[in-house]
Amino acid sequence: MPSQMPLQGLFGDYKTGTFYDEMFSGPDEPRPHYAKIFQKLSKMVPAQFEERRQHADFSFLLQGITFTVYSDGRGTERLFPFDLIPRIIPNAEWQRIDRGLSQRVVALNLFLQDVYGKQRIFADRQIPRALVYSCKHFMREVIGIEVPRGIHTHICGIDLIRDSKTGEFCVLEDNVRTPSGISYVLENRAVMMRTFPEAFQAYEVLPVNHYPAELARILRSLNPRGGDDAQIVLLTPGIYNSAYFEHSFLAQQMGIELVEGRDLIVDGGIVYMKTIHGLKRVDVIYRRVDDEFLDSLTFRPDSVLGVPGLMGAYRAGNVALANAVGNGVADDKAIYAYVPTFIRYYLGEDPILRSVDTYLCSRREDLAYVVEHLPELVVKAVGESGGYGMLMGPTADRDRIDEFKRRILADPRNYIAQHVLPLSRVPSFDPALGCIAGRHVDLRPYCLYDGEKVTIVPGGLTRVALQEGSLVVNSSQGGGSKDTWVLYGDE
Amino acid sequence: MLSRIAESLFWLSRYIERAEYTARILDVNFHTLLEQSKDRYRLRWEPLIVMAGEEERFRQTYGEADARAVFEFLAFRQDNPSSIVQCVAKARENARTIRDCISREMWEDLNGLYFTVNRFNPAEEMEAGPHRFCDAIRFGSHRFHGVTDATLPHDEGWEFLRIGWFIERAEMTARLVDVQYHNLYDAPSEISGPDNHQWMAVLKSVGAYEAYHRKYHAAIEAEKVAEMLIMHPLHPRSIRFSMTEVQSGLRAISGTSAGSYANEAERLTGKVLERLRYDRIDEIFKLGLHSYLTEMLEMCGSIGEDIARSYFYYAVVA
Repeated sequence: MPSQMPLQGLFGDYKTGTFYDEMFSGPDEPRPHYAKIFQKLSKMVPAQFEERRQHADFSFLLQGITFTVYSDGRGTERLFPFDLIPRIIPNAEWQRIDRGLSQRVVALNLFLQDVYGKQRIFADRQIPRALVYSCKHFMREVIGIEVPRGIHTHICGIDLIRDSKTGEFCVLEDNVRTPSGISYVLENRAVMMRTFPEAFQAYEVLPVNHYPAELARILRSLNPRGGDDAQIVLLTPGIYNSAYFEHSFLAQQMGIELVEGRDLIVDGGIVYMKTIHGLKRVDVIYRRVDDEFLDSLTFRPDSVLGVPGLMGAYRAGNVALANAVGNGVADDKAIYAYVPTFIRYYLGEDPILRSVDTYLCSRREDLAYVVEHLPELVVKAVGESGGYGMLMGPTADRDRIDEFKRRILADPRNYIAQHVLPLSRVPSFDPALGCIAGRHVDLRPYCLYDGEKVTIVPGGLTRVALQEGSLVVNSSQGGGSKDTWVLYGDE
Repeated sequence: MLSRIAESLFWLSRYIERAEYTARILDVNFHTLLEQSKDRYRLRWEPLIVMAGEEERFRQTYGEADARAVFEFLAFRQDNPSSIVQCVAKARENARTIRDCISREMWEDLNGLYFTVNRFNPAEEMEAGPHRFCDAIRFGSHRFHGVTDATLPHDEGWEFLRIGWFIERAEMTARLVDVQYHNLYDAPSEISGPDNHQWMAVLKSVGAYEAYHRKYHAAIEAEKVAEMLIMHPLHPRSIRFSMTEVQSGLRAISGTSAGSYANEAERLTGKVLERLRYDRIDEIFKLGLHSYLTEMLEMCGSIGEDIARSYFYYAVVA
């Protein structure tokens, strides 16, 4: 019986600590949906586990599933560390997440339609116009453009964390520009099935590999010329982009052409790609290039990643872009605080998933509180992502706190703050310790929106902060990932 | 097919072929010289650097062209763009930019070769001699072509791989014959003589030693070796065979039928092949082998340039 089995071997002297532990409800007491995997792991010795782990690592290396880090100035290729212990979500819990995310994606899309369209929300005084217009990624250039089928948020990655007391999933942030990571979800599952097949035998796990087909279906439906034979391309910044592996992976899985800006040309308001047999018209672009770099005639004149004239073709309705241009306004960290308002305003519903309480430094009373309580807070620059431009109050030294105080006071609109969230933990293997220890995780599900319904691949990317005590899960900052299982049933 | 992808495929196989050819020549040269006296060393290693076209760079780093220096320079130096490690790295880099267009097995195989090559410790290998390393490259290249042949649809992309592969091979063979011929005939008489061993090494380096004996049933002679490597219709390393492959690749892409041409690359390939078919080796020697091969290399260069003009580059539309 698991409840009487002492934690030993692979589990070492595992401690759940004061955190919400997803596997254990108490010492030696696995939650029902983790009981079977716990038993399997308990029977393994560290050497057996280590062998599997190396096998998995080798598999990733051989496939070149790496990302590039630029902090060392050379752009080194690194493996995205993969932890073999799956994270398991019971079906009932997932159903709630699925409903909550769908609701949120639809509301975000309506907000973007409105902000770049009729702007009813300002007239109805639900959000200050100044706040929206001052967002770093608000694009005046796309006001009035009618996007194909009214879809702005084709692909969203919404980051969730568990409330440390109740274990309830809450929304931490929205990513509605060019969210990345889905390739890891698919590859993690593939590698997991190869290296740890017996773990699946005890469970019924929902599959994830329909993502590329669903995305391809949505992209096809955007064809400005109508019909089923759209020429679709994936626009990548190129081989030096940290997500390049994902770009080529998705292009291959969807059977579409992977292009760089230099492969495309705009002539007479039509986008073409340069092939060995001449120019060929392009109808739909799944772009993984940020707005500012898309078109040097409209945005940054120094960009060589995009296609000069692309925005002209987009405005004329000759080419569809996914995601739409200007989406960054909806995942601005200050706008985040208003998403529950959007859900109520546009849908007339209560939000299913809670948001994290957020202080907007642009509000005078919030600002006063934030500068007084910096050592307890997490401060984020509103237009940044990937863990950059962030202050972790409790672990920061005096100088860093003072520096942030100066920055915040100089530009309050650019910052928000939240209380430090003790993310939930999932047992993970620590190669340094040679055994399993609790590590903090978040969850990024990927949502696809076709204008009528939202499709979410069960689970998503579980990112794990592999350093002991660390709360930062970003791959650029030492995070890894896990295979995430949503079960057919609840255990 | 995107022009950029066609270009990457073309270069991908060129780099692999260059790595393999370099490995072959290194290995065979080393083993031939094991049986010879030391005073011939300088003469015998120099040609390898000349072939690679890297004399100047070599002299900046090394003094004497001995086995160790040449091995290190051609196999491991990261600052030599034609070194084997650099060729493999560039092949992989090209593959990485088009990995959605090649089969997963091709990518994994090439990526594996890259890691294998980089796991070798140059100091240890220079102690052990080039065989182990060169073998790994040779097998790596063969395996890659095998995997490609078996997993990639034989469509336009495959044709670009084939063209890059064989145009590189034609050029390398032409340089090999040219350099060795120079080396053996222009050298002071007391060293040159009828040096069968060196020509034997040339044949072995391209894997044509047995085929030579089957064809000529005779002692090894410079003229016959040159004939075999330049004009043999069916040996896969002869210039003629390689150019026939290039021609059929070009025709498959443009859809041109035999006897006509769709672009300058096809016209020149046809012209080169006419000569390779109808010239005789004694005529070539009478005119001068060096000038014949130099012209051939220039034609190959022009063919490469025109392939780029026809398929890779775009004049920007105003």
